[in-house]
Parts: sequence; C-alpha cells; structure tokens
Amino acid sequence: MSDTDTTLPDDPQAYVAQVMAEIAEEVRLRRASGDLPPKLERELDELFLAHSPVAGRGGDLADALRRVDAATFIDPVVPVESERAAGSFVKKGMRSLLLWYVGWVTHQMSQSASAVSRALHIVDDRLGELQRQVDAQRVPPAGVVELPGLHGSGTWWVEPAVAATSKTPGRVLHAACGDGWLVRRIEAAGGDAYGVDPRAHLVETAALGALDLRAESVTEHLRAVAPAGLGALVLSGIVEGLSGGERAQLLAAVGTRLAPGGTLVVHSATREAWEAVDAPPETDLAPGRPLRPEAWCWLLEQHGYAAEAQPGPGGADYLVVAVRAALSTAGTPAPR
Amino acid sequence: MSAAAGGPVAVHQFVPTLNPHDATGTHTLKLRDALRRAGWRSEIFAEAIHDDLVGLAFKHWAYPEHAARGDVAVYQFSTSSSVAGYLLEHRLPLILDFHDFTAPEYFSGWEAQSVARANVAAEELAQLAPRAELGLTNSTFSERQLRRAGCRRTAVVPVLADYGRVTAVPDARVASELARLGAAGGADLLFVGRVVPSKAQHELVKVLWAYRRLYDARARLHLVGGTSSYEYSKALSGFVHDLGLTGAVRLTGEVSDAALAAHYAVADVYLSLSAHEGFGVPLVEAMVAGVPVVARQAGGVADTVDDAALLLEATDPSYVAAAVHRVCTDDDLRTVLTSAGSRRADALSGPGAADRIVEAIAGVVGWP
Repeated sequence: MSDTDTTLPDDPQAYVAQVMAEIAEEVRLRRASGDLPPKLERELDELFLAHSPVAGRGGDLADALRRVDAATFIDPVVPVESERAAGSFVKKGMRSLLLWYVGWVTHQMSQSASAVSRALHIVDDRLGELQRQVDAQRVPPAGVVELPGLHGSGTWWVEPAVAATSKTPGRVLHAACGDGWLVRRIEAAGGDAYGVDPRAHLVETAALGALDLRAESVTEHLRAVAPAGLGALVLSGIVEGLSGGERAQLLAAVGTRLAPGGTLVVHSATREAWEAVDAPPETDLAPGRPLRPEAWCWLLEQHGYAAEAQPGPGGADYLVVAVRAALSTAGTPAPR
Repeated sequence: MSAAAGGPVAVHQFVPTLNPHDATGTHTLKLRDALRRAGWRSEIFAEAIHDDLVGLAFKHWAYPEHAARGDVAVYQFSTSSSVAGYLLEHRLPLILDFHDFTAPEYFSGWEAQSVARANVAAEELAQLAPRAELGLTNSTFSERQLRRAGCRRTAVVPVLADYGRVTAVPDARVASELARLGAAGGADLLFVGRVVPSKAQHELVKVLWAYRRLYDARARLHLVGGTSSYEYSKALSGFVHDLGLTGAVRLTGEVSDAALAAHYAVADVYLSLSAHEGFGVPLVEAMVAGVPVVARQAGGVADTVDDAALLLEATDPSYVAAAVHRVCTDDDLRTVLTSAGSRRADALSGPGAADRIVEAIAGVVGWP
C-alpha cells in the first residue's frame, strides 16, 4: 500500500465523483480488452450456485428428499478418534457410559425424521401426479420469432433504440440479442450493453470474449438481475408471441429490475405482418399474437412508464420507447 | 401521554436477547444508563439473558414484580420473540426502538427456519408499530419500514455502540498471525458481520478472486463474524475451496474485541457488499479505526456512511475490484475517505448520541 498523504483535495466530493467515473471507465475498458471476460464472471456465479442448497438453485423435490433420507438416520455411536494421546481413551469411556442414553434419544429422533420423510414422499408422489396432469394442458412458452427484414443492424428502429439507451446510466440489456448486433451498436455509441438470448447456437458463435452475451431465457435471466440493476432494456423478437400471462410476468420482472428513470424499448411486428402468408411457421405455433402499439403504450402507462410509439415505415413493425418517471443516480454501471 | 414535565417515573426496556457482544445488547445497556442519568427508573427485561449479564436484567415475565403506574416500555425490536406478544398483551405505553431485521426473502432457499422467523418478525412489527407512541430507528431506510408498518411518529437516532473497542490494544496472538500473513505482501480486505446470505460474503469472495487476478495476486480477505446460517456458511467454504482461495480467505468465526481490533489495525480497505443493512455498526467501526470504506449502496448503508465511503451501485467483481484497487493505491482518495470517515464517526458516536435518544423519548413521554 502507498503511504497516506495528509493533504485533502480542494473539493473532496468532486474528487470522489471523478474517481467513480474513472473506475467505471476502467471497468468498461477492461471488459472490452478481455482482461476479465464476462464468461468468467458468469462461471463464478454458477460455481457458487453449485454449492447452494437445492431450494436455492430451484432444484427438484426428489433431490431434496434424497438429502432428507440420507439425514434421517442419526448415528448414536460417536467417533472417538483424537489428536491427543489420552483423548481417544476418554472419548471411548464417555461413549460407553452415555451410549444407552444417546441411543434412546437418537432412536426417537430417527423415528421422527423417518415419519416426516414418509410424509414428504407421499407429497412428492401427489405432486408428481399433479405435474403430469398440468403438463398435459401446458401451453408451450413463446420462443424468439424474428420476421424477415425486421431485425438486424440495418433496420430503421436501431438508431432510435440506440439513441434511447446508449447514454443511460447503468447497464443496457438487449433481449433477444441474437449474435449481439444491437449490443455492438450500443457499445459503439458509449453504452455498457450486454445481451441474452435462449438460442444458444447464435450466442455461442458470437465473439464471447469481446461481447457479454448469455445463452439463457429472458425471464430466467431477469429473475437473477438485482433489483433496479438495469439502466435500460431493449426487447425485440420476443414480445409478439407472448401469452397474456407471460407478458404480465415479463412486465412485472422488468418493473423491478429496471432502475427508476430507466428506459424500456419494445420492438414488435404488427399483427398484419405476423399473420402474413409468408410469416414463419413459429407465428402459428406461438401462444399469443402481437399487440397494437396503442395497447403497449396503455399497458406500460398502467405500469408507471411514460410511453411513446413510433410506427415503422412499411407498416410491418413499430417501436415503443418508455421511460420510468424517477431519475436515477448517474456515473456507475449497474449489476450484471 | 404528554410531553410536559411530570412524565412517567420508569422507562423500562424489553429486548428479545440481552447479549454483551451484539449491537442490540450494547445499545440496550448504554441506553439504560442514559435513561437512568436522565432521572428515570430503568430496568431491562429480556426473553434470554447471556450468562455474563445475569444480574443486569430480568426475565420479561418477571416484569409485573417491578411494574408501577405510568411505566413506559421501550422495545428493542431486532428479531421475532415472545416478548412482542407479551407487550401486546400487557398494553404498556410503547416506544419501538427498531433495529431492523433481515427480510425473509434473503433466507429463501437457504434456511426454512430463518424464513419462518423473519415472517413472524414482520407480523410482530405489523402489530406493534401502530400501537407505538414513537418509533426510533437508525436510518431513514428503517424509518420507511416502520412507517409502512403503521408507526405514526418516528425519529432517526444513532445506535449506541462501543466503537472504542476497535482501537483497543489488539490481541497479540492475532496481530502476530496477521503480521506474518502481511509480510508476504498484498492488500488486506476486511468485512465484519454474521455469515448469512443477506451479508453476501460470497460476493466478497468473487471480488477477491477478481482482484487477485487483475491487480494484486497476494491480496487476502478477512471475513470476521460468527454464523447463524449453516447452509450458507457451508456453501461459502466450498466456494472458497473451489476457487483455490483457501489460504487467501480467512473465515475467523466470532472473535474477541481485542482480536477485532487487530483485524481493523491491518485492514487496507473495509469492503461491504451486504444486500441488507438497517444501519451497519461495523461501517462506523471501520471509520473509527481509520480504515477507508467501500460499500454497496443498499438498505441503510448510505445513511450510515453519508459521504464517508465509496458507495457502489453494482457488485460486479471486476467493478468492485477496480474500486478496491483505486482505494488501495490512491493516496488522495484514502485521505478523503478517512477524513470524512473520522468526521462521520464522531457525529455518530459522540457523547451527544445518547442524549438525542433520551430527548426523543422525553418529547413523547415527558421528562421525569
């Protein structure tokens, strides 16, 4: 460490603000240079999750029950090894003296634990049956559907989307990001952007070292983002086919993850383009249909945004830019 | 109750557990002395009393033996307890001294019993807050919680803590061990707090990993504090092992005041990425000890540190590591932070701290 100088800068708070900006810039440069690739930070998250208990990882009941079963038997015969010479002898003596008592107590505890375990197995069986019934009626979740000509760096809505998000304090998330074409544009405009997309083949073929792209579902990813952790969010290719329930869940998740004052950009195909004869077959299979831009504006205003829609030049798509009312503190990147 | 002279003759305190080594216990004991100095009779009634403090407090169910007309109860609310039900039943004029409690969601997926306990605490707060004549809190963050729970009148006051313990004579054995480790070079990062999910020690481990990779391969992280979450503690140890940081991360468990002083004495940075803090006594301890503070802006942290810390809005390991590196290497920044820290610590720990609480209480119940 360096020795502390006792002279204070002229304006300490201005100096701290300058330092914060310099730290943010250094992180941006390091990310861009690949010193600490985003992939490594993700692997840290996954490594810790591997140690968390079943419920913490959203694991299944069968795993939990195996742990319960393994812990059901309580061994009354305590180990007697010791690092000290007489320790083992003393422990053996104590074990002999107390075994009848400890055995009696542990026998009852084991019986009690077995009863609980049996009850949990019954619950597991019944839940399994319910699960099978629900699965038979399940509506498949909407996937990413990109209509031809409406996505990619040459499309009309890229400029307004970049302009609305690149100067926002905090990180900008693009979903679904594909190979990172919009992430690259936002980064080039000075934003700190990353992307998620459930289409792993697209994400994995992109340059992971330079761009922070993640192959995961958008709603799953939003659950893992810290509250108010995003400065801006661009949704494209994922909102058109959402069912009503999925849309409500997505908006609820966005509402808590987007920082106050943050920007939400929604790009959607129009219903006409979605139902055109040359639309891809996924449009038929999706559980939902695109909303009209007025409906998005109304919906977002209900959720506390000031929203404005821009129709696309060919009538095939539109953009909605929505801003939450409060302003956030600038100067630092938001959590991943 | 009136704010005029001729108020109650006794202002008693009720507390779930009276422990000499935790923030609530220290606060309760110091407040009792301040209440007595102000002229009130004041005793402490607790559900559980630490062996070292037997004789300084009574079991809460023994209160009727000490009761007198006009008594006022100050409840040190820090967790769920049967004391809450006792106070609801006995309907004494109530002042709620709210120390915040960790919200149930922070334990979700880790310890079912902790989730249940936090849920009960939330229910108790919802019942007690509307009944309280006054709610005392330690930050505007906690004050908002108290108001949401239905408390009509609130005041933000300091925690009465024994900050002097961090500048006491360090434990020689611990100091020697830390000096031996420090001789190899590298920065010493310190965090003090219980090992529980809400304190996010695993985020600190990630930061150390990044910091060693990017800036200082010999840096160490000292995690001081006992645990009340076996699952989280186990996961943390496994995580440290998997990252190959076993020799670089020290999980000390609970330590004595002298051992704590030894840790503050060698720390280059006090780093907190805690997701939930009602106040944060160790943040003030670090400022008292002259250690620059880098902290995640969460809960009541900003209220506690004011302008005396580098407050971070993100916990990305690379970002926090960059902030720690800057604090370790920028003399001007260290000077700014430690000078502001010293001023902030004086404001929170000065002799007027107890008076502010006594005045807030007298403002509601009247002076003795």
